[in-house]
Amino acid sequence: MNVKPLLEIRHLSHTYETKRRRVEALRDINLEVRAGEFMSLVGPSGCGKTTLLRIINGLTPHSEGSVVLDGVELRGVSRDMGFVFQDINLLPWRSVVRNVEIGLEARGLGARERRRQALNALRLVGLEEEAEAPPYTLSGGMQQRVGVARALAVEPKVLLMDEPFGHLDNFTRESLQIEISKLCTELGMTVVFVTHDVDEAIFLSDRIALFHSSPGRLARIIDVDLPRPRWQFNVRAHPLAIRLRELIVSELDVRRGLAI
Amino acid sequence: MSTEPTGNVGRRALTPARLELLLPVTAIAVVLVAWQLSGFFINPILISTPTAVATDLYNLFATGTILGPLGESLEEMVIGGLAGIVVGIGIGVLMGRYVMMEKVLSPFVNFFNATPLVVIIPLVIIWVGIGQTARLLFVFLITLWPVLLNTVAGIRNVNRGYVDVGAAFGLSERQVMWRITIPAAVPYILAGVRISAGLAIIGMIVSEMEVSLTGLGYMLITFGNSFLTSKLLAVVVVASLFGVGNVLLLQWIQNAFFPWIRASAAAQE
Repeated sequence: MNVKPLLEIRHLSHTYETKRRRVEALRDINLEVRAGEFMSLVGPSGCGKTTLLRIINGLTPHSEGSVVLDGVELRGVSRDMGFVFQDINLLPWRSVVRNVEIGLEARGLGARERRRQALNALRLVGLEEEAEAPPYTLSGGMQQRVGVARALAVEPKVLLMDEPFGHLDNFTRESLQIEISKLCTELGMTVVFVTHDVDEAIFLSDRIALFHSSPGRLARIIDVDLPRPRWQFNVRAHPLAIRLRELIVSELDVRRGLAI
Repeated sequence: MSTEPTGNVGRRALTPARLELLLPVTAIAVVLVAWQLSGFFINPILISTPTAVATDLYNLFATGTILGPLGESLEEMVIGGLAGIVVGIGIGVLMGRYVMMEKVLSPFVNFFNATPLVVIIPLVIIWVGIGQTARLLFVFLITLWPVLLNTVAGIRNVNRGYVDVGAAFGLSERQVMWRITIPAAVPYILAGVRISAGLAIIGMIVSEMEVSLTGLGYMLITFGNSFLTSKLLAVVVVASLFGVGNVLLLQWIQNAFFPWIRASAAAQE
C-alpha cells in the first residue's frame, strides 16, 4: 500500500497545567493514516490515546505540532470527521433519528435533507426501524450503533472512534466488531480507533499504533497482514494473530514492568 | 423487604401492596372519626367537625359565594407566578451561561432567596399602592428565586458528554446552548418550578391578607374574625386544593412534554 496519507499528525505535543503540576500528555507524535485504512491506537490507560483522538477532531486544543487532513492543517473542530464516543451520550429528549441528525444541523441542511441522510445512516447500521424510538428504549449495543450512525451521517472523511465498545458486554462487543469491520470495508472508510483491547485491535485494524505512557508517545506501528474478510475465520486462532498479540503484549508489558 | 410466607395470602390477603394502601386510608379515617367525636366535648369554635366543614364547603360552592374570590386568587397566582417563572428561567439561563453575569448577580439573588420575603410587603405597598398590582408584584417576587437558582444549577451541571457531542459535531455555541444545554437542564428547571409554584400559593394568600383584602385571603380573615370556624376550614381545604392542583399540573406537564426525564432516569438504574 503506497497511498498518499489522508490524515497526518506532525510533531504533535500536548502539555497541560493542573493546580499542582504540569502534565506532559503527548510528546512528539508523528503518524500518517492512509485513505481507507483502519488504524488502531493501542496503549495502557493514561497513554494519551483518547486525548490524541480528541485533538485530531479538534475537541481538545494542543500545544505544539499540527493535524493535517487532505493537505490542509486543521484549526478548531473539523467538519470532515465523525466522532463515536465511549459514553455514547445520545440526547434522551430526541428520538433516535433526531439524534443522528445533530451533526447535520451544524452543517445547515434543511429538515428534509437532514432526515433523508439520517435515515440513510440508520439503514447502514440496521436501525431504520427504530428511527422514531426514544434512545433509552434501546439496548446498549443498539445505542452505540446509533452513535455510529450519528457519526456516519455527516459523511466524514475520517471516522474517529474512542473505545466505542468499552462499556458493552462480550457478545454485543463481538457482534459489533464484525458489523463495524464489514461497514468500514464496504464504505472504504478511513478509521482511527482507540482501544486497549489487543484482540479487538488485531481483528479490526490494518495497522496498530502502540503507545507508551507518561508521557504518551508513539512506540511503534505494527502491520496487521491478516486476510480479509476476517469474520469468516477464527482470527484469534490464526498463527499470525497469535504472533502479533505476543508482540504487542510484550511491547506493552515492558512498560508495565518498569512502572511497578 | 420482609418476605411474607405465601400461605397467608389466600385468606387474609394482606399483601404488602394492599397494606400500603390500607395504612394511609385507615389513618385518615381514624383522624376524621376522632375529629368528629371531638365535637361532643370540645367547643366547635376551636376546631369544628368534618361534617360541618363539608357542609359549609358544599354551600360555599352551591351558593356561589366562593366563586368570585376563587377567581381573583387564581388570577393572581397564575399571572404573578407565571411571570416569576418565565423571568426566573430567563435570568437563570443568562447567569448559567455568562460567568461574569453570575458573579455580579449572585449576591443579590442569594440575598433575596434567603430573605423571608413577607418582610418586603410594606415596601411593595409604598411602591405601587394596595391594588392588584401590588399583589401580583409580591407573587412575582416570591416565585422568582427558586426557579432562577435551579436554572443556574441546571445550566452549570449539564452533562459534559452531551456538550462534547455538540462540540464534536461542530455545533455553534448558540446551537449547543439551545439544542443541548437548555434541554438538558429541564429536570433542574422543573424542580425549581415545583418549589416556585408552591410559593406562588403562599404569596397569593399572604398578599390577599396583608396588602388588600380580596380573594381567598379575604374570606379567611373575615371568617376568622367572625369565629366561623367551619367556614374558615372550608376555605383552608380549597387553598390546599390549589397546592394539590399545582402538583398534578406539573406532573402532567412533565409526563406530557418531557417523558424522557423519568424514563431515561429509570433506564440508567
